[in-house]
Amino acid sequence: MLRMRNMTTLASVIALAVSGQAFAWEEAPQLAQQVADGKLPPVDERLPADPLVMDLIEGPGEYGGTLRRAILGGGDQHNMVRTIGSDNMVRWSPDWTEVRPNIAKSWTVSDDASKFTFTLREGMKWSDGAPFTVDDIMFWFEDVFSDPTLTPNKDATFVGPNGPVQVTKIDDVTVEFDFGAPNGLFLQALAYGFGYHPTAYPKHYLSQFMPKYNADIQALVEAEPAAGDWVQLFNLKAGPMDTPLFWQNPDRPTLHAWHLTNAYGTTDRVVAERNPYYYKVDSEGQQLPYIDRITYDQVEDVETILLKAFNGEIDYMLRHIGRPSNKAALTDNMERGKYRFFDVGDLPANIMILMMNLNHTDPVKREVINNKDFRIGVSHAMNRQEIIDLLYFGAGQPAQTAPREGTELYKEEYAKQFTAYDPDLANEYLDKVLPEKDDEGFRLGPDGERFTLIYLVADVFGLQYPDAMELIAGYARDVGLDFQIRTTDRSRLIELHTSNDFDAYLWNCSGGQADAYTSPICYVPTISNSVSWARSWAQWGVDPATGEEPPQAVKDIFETYKQVRAAATPDEQKALMQQVLDMASEQFFTIGMVQNDPVFGIARNNVRNVPDPLPIAGQLWFPAPYTAQMYFEGGANLP
Amino acid sequence: MGSFILRRVLYMIPTVFLVSIVTFIIIQLPPGDYLDTLAAEMGEAGVDNTAVVEQLREQYGLGQPMYLQYWKWMTGILLEGDFGISFEKNVPVTDVIWDRLGWTFAISILTLIFIWIVALPIGIYSAVRKYSVGDYIATLLGFIGLAVPNFLLALVMMYVAFKYFGQSVGGLVSPEYLDQPWSWAKFGNLLQHIWMPVFVVGTSGAAALIRIMRANLLDELYRPYVVTARAKGMSEFQLLLRYPVRVALNPFISTIGWILPTLVSGEIIVAVVMNLPTTGPLLLRALLVQDMYLAGSLILIVSMLTVIGTLLSDVLLAWVDPRIRYQ
Repeated sequence: MLRMRNMTTLASVIALAVSGQAFAWEEAPQLAQQVADGKLPPVDERLPADPLVMDLIEGPGEYGGTLRRAILGGGDQHNMVRTIGSDNMVRWSPDWTEVRPNIAKSWTVSDDASKFTFTLREGMKWSDGAPFTVDDIMFWFEDVFSDPTLTPNKDATFVGPNGPVQVTKIDDVTVEFDFGAPNGLFLQALAYGFGYHPTAYPKHYLSQFMPKYNADIQALVEAEPAAGDWVQLFNLKAGPMDTPLFWQNPDRPTLHAWHLTNAYGTTDRVVAERNPYYYKVDSEGQQLPYIDRITYDQVEDVETILLKAFNGEIDYMLRHIGRPSNKAALTDNMERGKYRFFDVGDLPANIMILMMNLNHTDPVKREVINNKDFRIGVSHAMNRQEIIDLLYFGAGQPAQTAPREGTELYKEEYAKQFTAYDPDLANEYLDKVLPEKDDEGFRLGPDGERFTLIYLVADVFGLQYPDAMELIAGYARDVGLDFQIRTTDRSRLIELHTSNDFDAYLWNCSGGQADAYTSPICYVPTISNSVSWARSWAQWGVDPATGEEPPQAVKDIFETYKQVRAAATPDEQKALMQQVLDMASEQFFTIGMVQNDPVFGIARNNVRNVPDPLPIAGQLWFPAPYTAQMYFEGGANLP
Repeated sequence: MGSFILRRVLYMIPTVFLVSIVTFIIIQLPPGDYLDTLAAEMGEAGVDNTAVVEQLREQYGLGQPMYLQYWKWMTGILLEGDFGISFEKNVPVTDVIWDRLGWTFAISILTLIFIWIVALPIGIYSAVRKYSVGDYIATLLGFIGLAVPNFLLALVMMYVAFKYFGQSVGGLVSPEYLDQPWSWAKFGNLLQHIWMPVFVVGTSGAAALIRIMRANLLDELYRPYVVTARAKGMSEFQLLLRYPVRVALNPFISTIGWILPTLVSGEIIVAVVMNLPTTGPLLLRALLVQDMYLAGSLILIVSMLTVIGTLLSDVLLAWVDPRIRYQ
């Protein structure tokens, strides 16, 4: 259930804040020592007046220990993003059903869902001790977000139906986000990963890299070998969190629970130390986080991480190792490594989808692919269970691209239509579209030539797509279809599908859980780097002067999804989103193959307060908002 | 001798120059650039960031034509010793590579020593005691050493170390020493780890050298000068080391030239498997993500070292063996 009960949330926060006054705040021994040495102000001065009292998974914990992880030498910034990076104005509850207060202690929404007013915590501080106020958010809005050179294209989170958001300072702790039109999904979007923007730009630090605030900027530019002008310098110092740049500047103050002490990529070990100014406490008034530091040991190969896990050198990890193929080896070494498993709800709409180009530039292929009977025929020709058994050890279900069972948008027909393996039925449907065959038994297109689709496939996500594609091409051959396989690498594949230069390809798709609302990329034609199945329609959907006008049924989908975004209450949003899914399911845009089972992560036996099951998704950068409350029973790592 | 060295040094300049051009072109040959890799990585965050990627393309100057990029890179190196910026790490290339080059050198030199220590006595033994049991055993092991791929040997050794000795495998020091300053304890820990890559990388080299040493020495052993020396009553051992072995030593010296490129480029897989902080994994990663200045600089430096190594071994060879002509 998606509920944003503003009034009750507000009430409970106030209640907690009031009761909070009764606590004498407690801090980690490590920090108490620094206070005694006069290196750090006392804990009461470091915490905001009304710290966030975290809802704990199990209960209050104890201080101490190092959370040891492993990180790949490059391209693995999400390793840090998902353990410490996601701590936004608001956050999703651990089960991904409700938006809760985080940096913002409360909020109100205007009746038409166009204005959002947030109240911050008085006396909150950045990781270097400088005050965090609305001025920092205004700095982001005025000097970064609204500056066309620094932000040539605005992040979709902060763009409503009428254009970019307008942010206004009410007072030092109150700020208003005004979209000028209903934007009912904003709070959800703000709770996802990319909602980090407003609270990631410390004015006192970053303003020095702007000529507006620093007349002597040229000196800083010259001192930095990787920058040629102030814009490059600023981008270097204030990089986006999902790029390595963010994690290569340990000087940038943050509001995160741990703060990097060295840059990612140039050392053998990245270390993040506890942020002494972190704004969350537990129910006993102990300042979070419990764990002293996080270390990321740099490795060159995923298999090395497995070995480290066997040896007990990994305290908490799901990334890279939580794959069905590793489960047996990890189970064998549980005793030796002293760890246990927890469930990870990494449940996209589908993990293997035949994306066929509905907007193909070749009229013959386009005509065939757009015929729903053709797609139904292909779908029935696929032996999904065999793929699951052969490649995924039986872990998964045959399914279309659809919300998962157990989520509020789930309907059985979305997931199960046309998934039965039935070559006879497949031939029946295909005979309606491509009745003629050549000497070798392959079906001929309307132009009399053999009908061939070239499938692009890349070895991504550890899902053995190239192997799967061989099986798929085999099933297609059984019903007289010629599917050619082109194996390529990920960046080339993305380049081809984003330029609409493809027949079909194999990929996965988000939208299996609550992210169906904000990321319906397989239900509504969307311009996206990850999926393309109707790119020209998607362009028309953004701007009818471009792209290509879609059929009425697709226009209706665009229109209804617009209404979802404009709806003010969760109930209205749900009803409308269900309509979108009904229509998308009727259109049967993409052919889904497999919905995976939950995957897993490992936590050493004395790591407590571990969310289990832990939902994760592309936009949901979990477990980051909940790592601060994890602790080691006994206050130290297991030997 | 002087003019020989001078001539060789002059030859080196166009060689390195050509290598740098070829390197630069090869790195740019695959479609796309670093930004495409970054875009793919960023896709993991679930939202498209095409705009941010375009902005960064500007940041890295990737829109410029190739000859201009090459020109900038080369002049930077020649005039300022500036090898450019690593796209992925956003620091000058020179900040990234020296540490790793140091480890690469250390392991190379240790491996070279290991190869010599193993190959020299065994090679001599199996030549002198031709067709003995010892020779057959050495031959068998030598062929196995040549035939087994290094990375497989690495995997097997890691498995054994993990399974039966409970050792923390991979890397050059245990995790607890990673960010510690150097101490005797850390050095001892290093010694516990470093023998493994040295053994793995050195095995095939040693096997090859054993075979070469054996063949070369066999050629010499029945020469008339050996018979003469023996007839004069020289002790067998002294005779062996003073004459035929010295002549057969040539391949040991010419090895110096190629041991370094083998280690840097040929053993990338071993370094990746064993998680070594050498240049191999860095180069592989740089090539995969098209971090072009980093990859280019590494290849350039390795080529230069190879050229210098070859020169060194040629000079040494000329000095040791008077039969070599300076042509």
